[in-house]
Amino acid sequence: MSVKYTPVQWNRNKWIYDAVMLAGVAAFLWVFLYVTPDVLNHERAINPQIHNARAFGACAFMMLTVILCIGPAARLDRRFLPLLYNRRHFGVMTAFVAITHAGYILNWYFNFSSSDKYVGLLYANSSFGQIAGFPFELFGIFALVCLLILAATSHDFWLKFLTPPVWKRLHYLIYAAYFSVAAHISLGILQDQQNHLFTLLFMAGAAAVIVLHVAAWLSERSEAAAKDGAWAEVARVGDFREGFAKIAKLANGERVAVYLMEGQLSAISNACAHQNGPLGEGKIIDCLVTCPWHGFQYDVRSGRSPAPFTEMVPTYRLRIVEDMVEVHPDANPPGTYVDPVPVPAPADPLPEEGTPA
Amino acid sequence: MSEKPFFVGYLPAPGPLRVFLLAACMLVIAGLGTAGYLMGAAQDDPGPGAFRFDYGRQTVTGVVEMTPYPVIHVTEGNDRIKPGDSFMMTAGGKSGVDSRAMPLNGQLAQVSGIVLERGDLYMMQLRGGRNGLRAAEGDAPAIPIEPQGRWQLTGEICDGKCLAGAMRPGRGLAHKACANLCLLGDVPPIFVSSQPVLGSEFLLVTGPDGTRLPRDAYDYVAQFITAEGEITKRGDLLVWEIDVDTIEVTE
Repeated sequence: MSVKYTPVQWNRNKWIYDAVMLAGVAAFLWVFLYVTPDVLNHERAINPQIHNARAFGACAFMMLTVILCIGPAARLDRRFLPLLYNRRHFGVMTAFVAITHAGYILNWYFNFSSSDKYVGLLYANSSFGQIAGFPFELFGIFALVCLLILAATSHDFWLKFLTPPVWKRLHYLIYAAYFSVAAHISLGILQDQQNHLFTLLFMAGAAAVIVLHVAAWLSERSEAAAKDGAWAEVARVGDFREGFAKIAKLANGERVAVYLMEGQLSAISNACAHQNGPLGEGKIIDCLVTCPWHGFQYDVRSGRSPAPFTEMVPTYRLRIVEDMVEVHPDANPPGTYVDPVPVPAPADPLPEEGTPA
Repeated sequence: MSEKPFFVGYLPAPGPLRVFLLAACMLVIAGLGTAGYLMGAAQDDPGPGAFRFDYGRQTVTGVVEMTPYPVIHVTEGNDRIKPGDSFMMTAGGKSGVDSRAMPLNGQLAQVSGIVLERGDLYMMQLRGGRNGLRAAEGDAPAIPIEPQGRWQLTGEICDGKCLAGAMRPGRGLAHKACANLCLLGDVPPIFVSSQPVLGSEFLLVTGPDGTRLPRDAYDYVAQFITAEGEITKRGDLLVWEIDVDTIEVTE
């Protein structure tokens, strides 16, 4: 939540997050650049510029792989959610690593020619009609452009300016970038490898991304609420736990978070106004729904952030029919107050035999 | 909803989650470090080619021949380069020396520069201007030209300079665009044969009838191909006049 923009709203967890990710990147680059040359034991070393380009390129691929694994991993196991917390900073780091890779390539392979290196990059190889020998550099350029767009628009200013839905769709470019990087690698360095260890590592990374996304999709699909008429079923009253939500998926694809707070049910959009984080995977803290991604908070009855914050999310009407909680799919305008629905008191249990009633 | 610890970014991490997060952090750092090791250690040997700065600047005299790529057939050598040796010439960067060599075609000339060497592949990067290539006194002897017949070869078209050691690695599909730039800059193209041909693994590759490598062949640069063409031994250098129509990509 915010009432004004500051460049970066730092806190201790963000510092730790960035330090860990930077340490990981530094470990990769240091080992690749300074440890492996002694291991390789070649008669003549690989050119430093090419070695550096490979180190930064491989590092960017690994970073992208980690970035894309974090999302589905957090959907499968909420303990991974903290890795999502500051993922934008890791994405910006990836853009810097990728552009360093591009710089080494451009200033080595495409330099020392009578033509401009940028022009040379685009015309040197025009074998578009074949797979082997295809100008794979174009895939790298496209991926780099995507990463730069994502990095440039990663700040909350752009989130607010573009609105979360547009910003979120724009940042799906990360998938286009990853596929493009995969094509860049497959048609480039993999075509030349005699040692296939890199190929195996590349395939393992890409497979991890695919498997985790499919697993998360299957998991969410199995949890989707059944639909029946205009009102959508959410869950039985007894399934709710105080302070937590059940998520219902509506026929139009929207998700609704139905919270039980102080014995009453309320429904708000599952998409946080900040980055569309899954509010239904959060919990009630200090009587406020707290987003699991960045801690944005909302009054569950009105969908409004507490003053002085101004974020709002849509609310929904609820009803209870024969112990089944149902939500109406028509969303109220963001910030609309809806009376919570009291949960019926459970029927008194029958006295056990031999005990006083 | 599970009762697992709930993380809020601006609050301290819940106690039970800290161990998990610590393990995740260590995994990220160790995993990236390990990946760096495995990927870095999986790089192929780029081969023995190199600029031989350790030889020092080499200056020899010989007959210039445009094949059409500029070649020098040595008549007066030195301790390292012997009379009878033939080698290709190039300029600094991705440039050839055609404009300097053409006026001296068939004449005696003195060349000076740094040698690039990869096995029996020799090339000289000439110094700039007349310091690198200038006419020499004397009559140019005839260069022996021995037709070797039509051959079908399998291998890879490369730019001679990167292959000889200007870049390591200086061949392969990842290097294709760089090779094309070199060839467009008049660096002599080399065919690396999968099997030695008349005792040599490397042949200067040209178009038919003394023409330059056709542009149609550029699509096949850095690919493993099979093609046919006439081989001629000029001095001690093998020149393969590739027939572009016979090029087939080999799996």
